[in-house]
Amino acid sequence: MKHFKTFKALMLSVALTAMSLVGIPTDGMAKSKFVFANSSPYDTLDPHVIYDVGRVASRLNMYDGLMRWLDNPPKLTPWLAESYNISADGKTYTFKLRKGATFHDGSPVEAKDVVYSIERILALKKGAFSLFSKSIEPGSTKAPDSHTVVFNLKTASSIFLATVPAIHVVNSDLLKSKEVNGDWGGVWLSKNEAGSGSFELTRYDPAIGFQAKRYADHFMGWGDKYLDEIEFRTVKEINSRVLGLMNGDFHGTDGYLPQDQVKRLKADGNMYVLEEESMRIFYSIIHNGRKPFDDVNLRKALSHAFDYDSFIDNILSGSVARNPVPVPNNIWGNPKGEKGYTFDLEKAKAYLAKVKGPIPEITIGALTGYGQTEQAAALLQNGLSKIGVKSKIVSEPWSVASKKMRDEQQMYDMLWLWRSTYYADPNNWVGEMYACDQVGARNNSWYCDPEVDKLLMEARVEPDQAKRAANYEKAAKMVTDDAGGIFVYNTKWFGPYNKKVKGVRFSPIGNAQEMRWVHME
Amino acid sequence: MLESTKFIISKLSRDRTSLVGAFLLIALVLIAIFAPVLAPYPEDVTEFHPPERLFGPSMLHFFGTDRMGSDIFSRMLFGARITIAIAVIAVGVSVLVGVPIGLIAGYNRSWISDGLMRISDIFLAVPQIILAIAIAQTLGPSIENVILALSATYWPFWARLVYAETRSALTETYVEASIALGASPFRVMVFHVLPNISSSIIVRTTIGMGGTILTAAALGFLGLGPPAPSPEWGRTIAESREFLPEAWWYATAPGVAIFLVVMGFNLFGDGLRDILDPRTRRSNDG
Repeated sequence: MKHFKTFKALMLSVALTAMSLVGIPTDGMAKSKFVFANSSPYDTLDPHVIYDVGRVASRLNMYDGLMRWLDNPPKLTPWLAESYNISADGKTYTFKLRKGATFHDGSPVEAKDVVYSIERILALKKGAFSLFSKSIEPGSTKAPDSHTVVFNLKTASSIFLATVPAIHVVNSDLLKSKEVNGDWGGVWLSKNEAGSGSFELTRYDPAIGFQAKRYADHFMGWGDKYLDEIEFRTVKEINSRVLGLMNGDFHGTDGYLPQDQVKRLKADGNMYVLEEESMRIFYSIIHNGRKPFDDVNLRKALSHAFDYDSFIDNILSGSVARNPVPVPNNIWGNPKGEKGYTFDLEKAKAYLAKVKGPIPEITIGALTGYGQTEQAAALLQNGLSKIGVKSKIVSEPWSVASKKMRDEQQMYDMLWLWRSTYYADPNNWVGEMYACDQVGARNNSWYCDPEVDKLLMEARVEPDQAKRAANYEKAAKMVTDDAGGIFVYNTKWFGPYNKKVKGVRFSPIGNAQEMRWVHME
Repeated sequence: MLESTKFIISKLSRDRTSLVGAFLLIALVLIAIFAPVLAPYPEDVTEFHPPERLFGPSMLHFFGTDRMGSDIFSRMLFGARITIAIAVIAVGVSVLVGVPIGLIAGYNRSWISDGLMRISDIFLAVPQIILAIAIAQTLGPSIENVILALSATYWPFWARLVYAETRSALTETYVEASIALGASPFRVMVFHVLPNISSSIIVRTTIGMGGTILTAAALGFLGLGPPAPSPEWGRTIAESREFLPEAWWYATAPGVAIFLVVMGFNLFGDGLRDILDPRTRRSNDG
């Protein structure tokens, strides 16, 4: 027994020596580091070639925009801009830049950098390009002095301000020095960073993720509690993320885990789960441009053949709210009281009887790795088989599906997916999903109705929000009556965090992945 | 022929491990044939009961229920059909393609032989699963494409084997004799060489079945197999990952099924090899 004690003491001292040798920090002197497990890989860090939710963390934490969406409900807040001014005709936007903001190399953030950034987006034609392609002409944005930027829009746009946060400002001097063959520094920026954001890049590996350290000179300043380092690591497997959270390897992960896993995390003593009503609607695209889906009776039959209650109450354990229209319930422009469709096979059959001509086998698309889309597809297939409509499910990865979505011939007859918040304006949903000028880009339904389009186009230039809201409400109702898609629910966000993590600030834009307010206790 | 079949059966019946293998395979075939009769809820292949989702194993649901509330036991029985279809067709095509190529390459001593063997070398140089993933991904997920991908990547194993066996058979006296008697190359290959190397082909085919099933399940797991709501075993394991470890039965049932079937083919194949191909016999078999 005595020997055993001596042995234990010996082992302990060996372990302690080893720890001090390899430099594992002990409590007190530790730098606080937050590790986020992300489901999608960070295959590029260039903020101007991507505009999705899965890779939002690299943009929000290392880059700033003139404006930023904060909190829930989202508020558009001046960020790099100190103030802004909109001309009476709604075409000229003048932003005054904050003084004292600097890039990570210490050089000041100036108007020419903002101009360079928008020109870069327009030239690369990727990422958020489609938001600006119709309204901004290359070369039209001016910098009269080092702290003033003037955007001269082609036509008045009431959504321009809402999309300004997507113009992530890059260090133009640095990028110009890295340019190769007119690539706007694209090759370099895909693996490096040229921002002014709250954190500066320290390590990046497309297969692993990125790490960044706090940028102490950030213009927003820092309180006395902050994170020293952040890491966003790619962990594709849901179970690996959940287990990693439970044993403390990760401190947070995305808030859209399956409910069964959320329950498991809630029950864990080291975790807590934040709940917020998000703006992320789940729906099925219907290819309105393809026969026989151009027949409203068939689309209505499809809408009545989906078991909404079973899906929401059983498969998702009631964790989401029914959202029967293509605008989230919790934003203005949503037609309140709209009931939408119910699961009713008799009605479905009645509509089906009105469809002229034979109905071919319907291809229902789902996204590999997103169980919900497959379950919704299977549930719809089941409903369809009961009304005598044949269908087959095709499950493909997002990388494949997102390409097919842009091609009228390759697009599936139907496709289950989510529409997240890119900017908090109804235009983000019905205004893009069913607008004629977005067909093949952000309207993947090939839906183009002149009346709906007129409402949407008016709303895009009308400055008065009350009038815009009326238009979006009407348009959303019309698309729903027209069964332009199958609209199912609006998501709640369940953000799981380690108990030590404090100060998480959620916004539907970015899903709480901006880390500047977070700290560890 | 009857004599040799009797001989094989009597030998096999004395080898306990291969009997286990044979039993597993017979069970698999019976299950596949009688799935609609054996399954307590045969409609659950396409029918869902969301309120009953993720129920644990019970007398009502032997292997519990899945994410859509369907009976996993019933689905596994129907999954056996898909597994057998994929394995039999893919291996069958591989044999039909690989054996003639091996025979021709083995019999010929010209550039044709080298050409055919180099092509099969190219296929063998790339790991089979990676090539199969590439093919299935390019063609899109479906049962047909899995079979195609497996056949396209599997035939060189038979071509290689038959090539080597043919080369050694060509030095045998009976082959020399038939050539001396003026038999045509086709006649020599099909009536003299092939029957004498058939035992190695049978052994390779039996063991190859197990490997094929494993690869097919891997493709299904990666989402390249038949799409939802197919009860294919590999796909079921992939679906179950979201619900582990709580719904342990969800992954266990198809996992055990794959394990048993692959083991069945391997044990049976080993037993066959010991009898038919004494050169590579297990050492402990005396």
